[in-house]
Amino acid sequence: MSTRKPNDYKSELKPIWCPGCGDFGVLASLYRSMADMDLDPSRTVIVSGIGCSSRLPHFASTYGIHTLHGRPLPVAMGVKLANPDLTVIAVGGDGDGFAIGAGHFPHASRRNIDVTYLVMDNEIYGLTKGQASPTSLFEQKAPSTPFGNPEDPLNPLALAIAAGASFVARGASFNTKALTELITQAVEHKGFSYIDAMSPCTTFNNTQESWKDAVTDVAPDHDPTDRVKAFDLALRGGFSLGILYRQERTTQTERYRAILEQAKPSDVNVMLDGFNARKGAAIGKPA
Amino acid sequence: MASIPAASGPSRPRCPESSQGPVDSPPGPRASRVQFLHGGTLSARNSVVVRLAGESGEGVISCGDILTQAAARGGYYTQTFRTFPAEIKGGPCMYQFRLSDEPIWSHGKDVDLLVCFNQEAWDLNWDSLGPEGVILYDSIEVTIPDEYIERARPVRMDELAKEIGGSTRAKNMVAAGAIAAVIAFDTTPIEELVLRRYAHKEGVADANIAALHAGAIEAHDLKGRYPLVPPVEVEEDRMLISGNQAIAVGAVAAGVKYFAGYPITPASDILEWLSVRLPQVGGLTIQCEDEIASLASVVGASYTGAKAMTATSGPGISLMNELIGYAGTAEIPVVIVDAQRGGPSTGLPTKTEQSDLNQALYGSHGEAPRVVMAPVSVEDCFYSIVDAFNYAEEFQVPVLLLTDQGLATRLEVIHRPDPEKLNIVCRTTSAGIAREDYKRYEYTDSGVSPMGLPGEPEGMYVATGIEHDEYGHPGYTPEIHLGMQTKRLGKLEPIRETSRVATHGEAQPADIAFIGFGSTFGPVREAVDRLAEQGLSVGAFYPRVLGPFPASRAEEFVANAKRIIVPEVNYTGQLARLIKAETTINELESVAKCDGLPFTAEAIIDLAAQEVAA
Repeated sequence: MSTRKPNDYKSELKPIWCPGCGDFGVLASLYRSMADMDLDPSRTVIVSGIGCSSRLPHFASTYGIHTLHGRPLPVAMGVKLANPDLTVIAVGGDGDGFAIGAGHFPHASRRNIDVTYLVMDNEIYGLTKGQASPTSLFEQKAPSTPFGNPEDPLNPLALAIAAGASFVARGASFNTKALTELITQAVEHKGFSYIDAMSPCTTFNNTQESWKDAVTDVAPDHDPTDRVKAFDLALRGGFSLGILYRQERTTQTERYRAILEQAKPSDVNVMLDGFNARKGAAIGKPA
Repeated sequence: MASIPAASGPSRPRCPESSQGPVDSPPGPRASRVQFLHGGTLSARNSVVVRLAGESGEGVISCGDILTQAAARGGYYTQTFRTFPAEIKGGPCMYQFRLSDEPIWSHGKDVDLLVCFNQEAWDLNWDSLGPEGVILYDSIEVTIPDEYIERARPVRMDELAKEIGGSTRAKNMVAAGAIAAVIAFDTTPIEELVLRRYAHKEGVADANIAALHAGAIEAHDLKGRYPLVPPVEVEEDRMLISGNQAIAVGAVAAGVKYFAGYPITPASDILEWLSVRLPQVGGLTIQCEDEIASLASVVGASYTGAKAMTATSGPGISLMNELIGYAGTAEIPVVIVDAQRGGPSTGLPTKTEQSDLNQALYGSHGEAPRVVMAPVSVEDCFYSIVDAFNYAEEFQVPVLLLTDQGLATRLEVIHRPDPEKLNIVCRTTSAGIAREDYKRYEYTDSGVSPMGLPGEPEGMYVATGIEHDEYGHPGYTPEIHLGMQTKRLGKLEPIRETSRVATHGEAQPADIAFIGFGSTFGPVREAVDRLAEQGLSVGAFYPRVLGPFPASRAEEFVANAKRIIVPEVNYTGQLARLIKAETTINELESVAKCDGLPFTAEAIIDLAAQEVAA
């Protein structure tokens, strides 16, 4: 039984989001999930990039790093590798994760970094006032696409599965109970867990009603360990909510721990002796 | 003297001559000056400069390395310089080493023994020969012009290697044997190293040793023509180490626990060395997808309290600039090594330059604090990286350490540092501070605020690059921005007066004061000694910390100097501009040299002579 309540994870800062923003629902789900898991706030680090949703760490009473646009994943990796005892949750938006930060997403996936990545996907740039994002629809009109978006959207779930993420799920801000459960499963998953949280922008791209109509739950008989079926779900039109893919695989943290355990302990004096000129240490080759 | 066109192109004033001649210069009348082979044995010398040249992949570099290593084993001081193409196979490469029984500070200019593996090696390097220099050349590959033939000796490198090992692979060992004979160098340490290197490859060691002996016999009649004074009183704890290696092992001494990097010439050695070594001290090394991810993960690791660093070259620093500003603003300690290479853009990946000073000092938007350092020698690389971590930890800032290709890759014999004697600084943390009171970015007298570390319930905060109040909460009022800029940019001021400065010669020279940074210290130091022998009052002032700049100490040093010379390896004179901006010094002679090659002591002496004559 959890001793902490969702409110215990609220900071004294109030979210600066617009009324009706989907991010409120995501944040509420995160508070509840952290309470359900009884996470120690001093051992939890929420890492974010830049954008409306990336303000989230300031609204949580845990450790946090509000980093640069697009960079939460490598920062989160550094946090987790340097202190594997911490629970590390990276958050951000679709622009942060799939435009400027897209170079890091496949590598976090293939490395299976032991981090949960919660993307609040609103298919738009909200903080810069409504330009098209990498997940905006073809022909979508926006200030930067006055003739309709000439580009096809990226499919982050298919990308995550292809790149080697070991937990891939979709949730929605307007379905907080299910999202809470997904976040809990993602954080408890060993390895890189990615949640695409549909989070409508009520100011610049209000998809709330259409999304509510479009979502369906992943079928109860879906086998999340089947990668091909997971692809099928990710590539199919419409929005399947739930866990698309889940795989048990050694994490980056475990692989580095194995390297550490195999290493022959040494110290700086031994290393300096390796360069002894009189003993003719092999150049460039650590003894 | 052959006429040598300016190495750096059109109308570059006062650019000293290159130590590597242009390809198309015909051999000049120099050849007639020496008739070495008829002249008998020269008297024993304190230093000899050997240059090996050939095609990349021919074993030139490994031949140089093994001779350098053997010389160090034999008790000689040594310093090397290498230049090679940016391609793996093919293209000219060169390895120069200087040996002496006494400490030496530069790789030398006039080559005493030039070893040409092929014709191009001769075409590119004939110009480096000193007035008494001799030539060893491959008997098949190379044709030496008549004017030089009297001081040139063919060696059947290809031929003997094929005879012994069935291929030309051991060609470099034939060359090594011939070189050892000419400088009267015992081949025993070379043999020991060959045995060790090829311990696990049956027959290879034997073939190499046979090639070595064959080379020595080949040059039999030149034996001892260029004898070197043998070393005496050799301390047993000397080290042979490169700048990159000194940084890597120094970082371990400083307590680094996390290294992330992306392969780049000439910094990759640090990534590779620490990949093996850090796990042995409980740390880890990771190769990231790019330089941005490298520094980002270093920021993340340091946020948890680990001492963390990355190493790169100029292009990588360009990518890291935004994060450097972030680390300064979020006040997260990070150490960044920049092994500078020739720029701009992809530039000259395998050549040397000191042209990242501006980017190190001013890169990144806005005005964020950072410390910029430059070690002056291989030995100093070790101590400077320790200082870099100490500054990063004490002031919670990014620290950039500038080396360059020459310094990073050259091998030098140094005195073994004693890790016990190092002063190691760790950051001030929030441990013990009551939760209600804790302000991560609290205004303090020093400008440094105790840092919360995850796991400490009382230190919880959100690090951020957005302007923030003392709690780290976003805030953009005039008071907050001015207050925080004052705190962040003011906290480094004490470093101006306390940073270590390398000086040589007179403390307040009357004739010539040199001010420089980084790797030019070696040749300048040697030049200072030789100019002093000519009766001049000379001194050199080398700040190891360039930002914040030790302005008053620089002014004091040059107060009596008739002339101030600022040598640096770049085009625009970045240090000269910095001195003018930071100090009251107005009259100085900027000597910016931009040819991808390091200064020689001789070039510095020539400059000084021109200045005095002017």
